[in-house]
Amino acid sequence: MFYRESGDFKTSYSGDQQIFPIAFDRWVVIAFCAFAFVVVPFLINDYWEKSVLVPVLVWSLAALGLNILTGYCGQVSLGTGGFMAVGAYASYKLTTSFPEMNMFIVILLSGGVTALVGIVFGLPSLRIKGFYLAVATLASQFFLVWLFNKVPWFYNYSASGQISAPERFVFGIAISGPNSPPWATYLFCLTFVVVFALIAKNLTRGRLGRSWMAIRDMDIAAEIIGVPPLKTKLSAFAVSSFYIGISGALFFMVYLGAAEPTEAFGIEKSFLVLFMIIIGGLGSIFGSFIGAAFMILMPVLFKNIMVGGLGWPTDLVAHLIFMLIGGLIMFFLIVEPHGLAQLWRVTKEKLRLWPFPH
Amino acid sequence: MNSQIAPGETLLEVKNISLSFGGVKALQDISFDILKGEVRAIIGPNGAGKSSMLNVINGFYHPQQGEVWFDGKLRTQMKPHEVAKLGIARTFQNIALFKGMSTLDNLMTGRMIKMKTNLFWQALWKGPAEKEEQEHRERVEHIIEFLKIQSIRKTPVGRLPYGMQKRVELGRALAAESKLLLLDEPMAGMNLEEKEDMCRFVLDVNDEFGTTIALIEHDMGVVMDISDRVVVLDYGEKLADGTPDEVRKNQAVIDAYLGVSHES
Repeated sequence: MFYRESGDFKTSYSGDQQIFPIAFDRWVVIAFCAFAFVVVPFLINDYWEKSVLVPVLVWSLAALGLNILTGYCGQVSLGTGGFMAVGAYASYKLTTSFPEMNMFIVILLSGGVTALVGIVFGLPSLRIKGFYLAVATLASQFFLVWLFNKVPWFYNYSASGQISAPERFVFGIAISGPNSPPWATYLFCLTFVVVFALIAKNLTRGRLGRSWMAIRDMDIAAEIIGVPPLKTKLSAFAVSSFYIGISGALFFMVYLGAAEPTEAFGIEKSFLVLFMIIIGGLGSIFGSFIGAAFMILMPVLFKNIMVGGLGWPTDLVAHLIFMLIGGLIMFFLIVEPHGLAQLWRVTKEKLRLWPFPH
Repeated sequence: MNSQIAPGETLLEVKNISLSFGGVKALQDISFDILKGEVRAIIGPNGAGKSSMLNVINGFYHPQQGEVWFDGKLRTQMKPHEVAKLGIARTFQNIALFKGMSTLDNLMTGRMIKMKTNLFWQALWKGPAEKEEQEHRERVEHIIEFLKIQSIRKTPVGRLPYGMQKRVELGRALAAESKLLLLDEPMAGMNLEEKEDMCRFVLDVNDEFGTTIALIEHDMGVVMDISDRVVVLDYGEKLADGTPDEVRKNQAVIDAYLGVSHES
C-alpha cells in the first residue's frame, strides 16, 4: 500500500524522464545515499571495509562498466580482468611518475588510458559478433596480463615483478597504503561509484544509450535509422573500459595495495564480472549493483554462518561455498533468466495493483 | 523539410541499376523515378528484386552499375547511416524493431540523426541534453498521437502484438521526418481491419506531412487504391511503369502474375 505508482501523475516531460519516476523510489535512494555518505563512515571498521564495503563498491563499478558494453550494447567481452589491469598499472605508473598529482585525477586518467586501450581492442567488434567477439576479447585478456608480466617498465623494474601502491593522500588523509583509515578509503570509493552510476544512468537514458541498445537489439535497423555502427560500438567500448579502468585502479590502489597481474587480474576476474551482470540483470544499472553485491557478499555471508556460527572447518566451508554459490546462480537463472533486476521489476508491477489484483 | 525540390518534381531517380550476387542477377538495368509528394508502389512476384531495390536505395547494397540521384544530386557510394542523414527512412518486411526498448524509446531512436549533444552534456544530463531530449520527446508525442499508440508508450515492443509492432515501426520511420519513406510490405500478415488502418496512416502521412512514399506490397487491392504510380519488377527486370490503371491493363504484367501458357 505504501509503495505505488498510481496517483503519481506526470505533467511535464522532465517529470516523466527523471531517473526515478516513482516518488517513493526517489526518496529511498536519496535516503540510502545519505546514509552511505553520512552515517556509515562513523560505523565502519577494518573488517567491514576490507571484506564488504570496498570490494562491493569496486566490483559494482566494474560490473557497471561491463554492463554498458554487454548489457546495453550487446558486445560480449571476456577482457574485463585485462582492462582492470590496465587501470591498475596506469594508476601505478601515473602516481609513481607524478607523486604530486591529485589522486582523483590519477584515477580518472587511469580510466582514460583504459578507454583508449578498450577502443583498440574494440575494433574487431565491427566484423565479429557474439561468441566470436567474446573469444577475440579473451585475446586482450591474455595479451594484457602477459604484457604487464613481461615488460619491466610497467612495474618500475621491481625485483618481485609486483606493483605496490605508495601512500597517497586526499585532503591530507591517506587513502592508499597501510595507514589509510577505513572510512577514508570507503568514502573515496563511494564518491566514484555514486558519481559514475549517475553518469551511467544519464548516458543510458539519453541518445547514446538508445543508440547502444539499438545496435544490441537489431543492428541492421539501427544502421538504417542513422546509427553509425563502428562509432557506436567503439563508444561503448570506450565508456565501458573507462569504468572498468577506474575500478581496476581503485581495486589496486585502495583495496589490494599490492598486485601481481596473473593473480589479481586473471581470467577468473573477467568471468566474475560477467556473472555479476548476468545474475544482476543485463542492461540495468541497478542490476549491476545487486549482481556485484550478490557475488561478493554471498561467500562472506556463508563463511560467517558456517565458520563463525556453526564452527565447521574452514577448508570444508570453502568448498561448500563454491557449490552453494553455483547452485544459487542456477536457481536464480531458472527463476528469472533476466536477472535479479527483472525479478525486482516484476515484483514492482505486482505491487502496483496490490492488494487489489484487478 | 527544407528541400529545394518542389512537389511534382523528381525526388529520387535510379538510372540503369544492375546488381548481381555472384551469378545471380538480382536487378538488371532498372530505371525509374519517384516524384516528390507521390505514393509510389513497387510490385512484383516473389524474388522479383523489390527488396533488393530498396536495399540499393538505402545503401545496403552497392550496385555494380547505375546511378542513384536523390534530391537533385548524384549519390556516390554511401553507408546506410549516411543515407539516413540525407533523409531516407524505411521499415522492414520482417519487423526490425528494437525489442528490448519501449515504444517511446524506439521512436526516440528514430530521431537519432536529429540529435546532437555530445558525450559530456549527455553525461551531465542537466542543460543542453535534457532540453534536446524534451524537444524531441514533444515531436515523438505528436507521432504517438497520430498513430494512436498512446496506451503502449512505455511497453517494451517485444510484448506487443504483430499489428501494433508494424505500427510502431512505421512510427519509428516517421520520427526521422525524412523526405522519402520506404515501406517494405507494411501490410504483410495483417487482417483486413489492420490493413485499412495502415492504409489510412500511409495516406495521412503522405497528405499531412507531405512525405514521399515508396512502398512494396503484395495486396493488389491496396496497391491500386493508394498509389499514384506503380512500377512492376519481375526476375530483376522492369516490366511496366505507370498509373495503376495502365499497369493493370499491361499484358506483360498480367502474364507475370497469372502465368502464361507456352502452347499458344
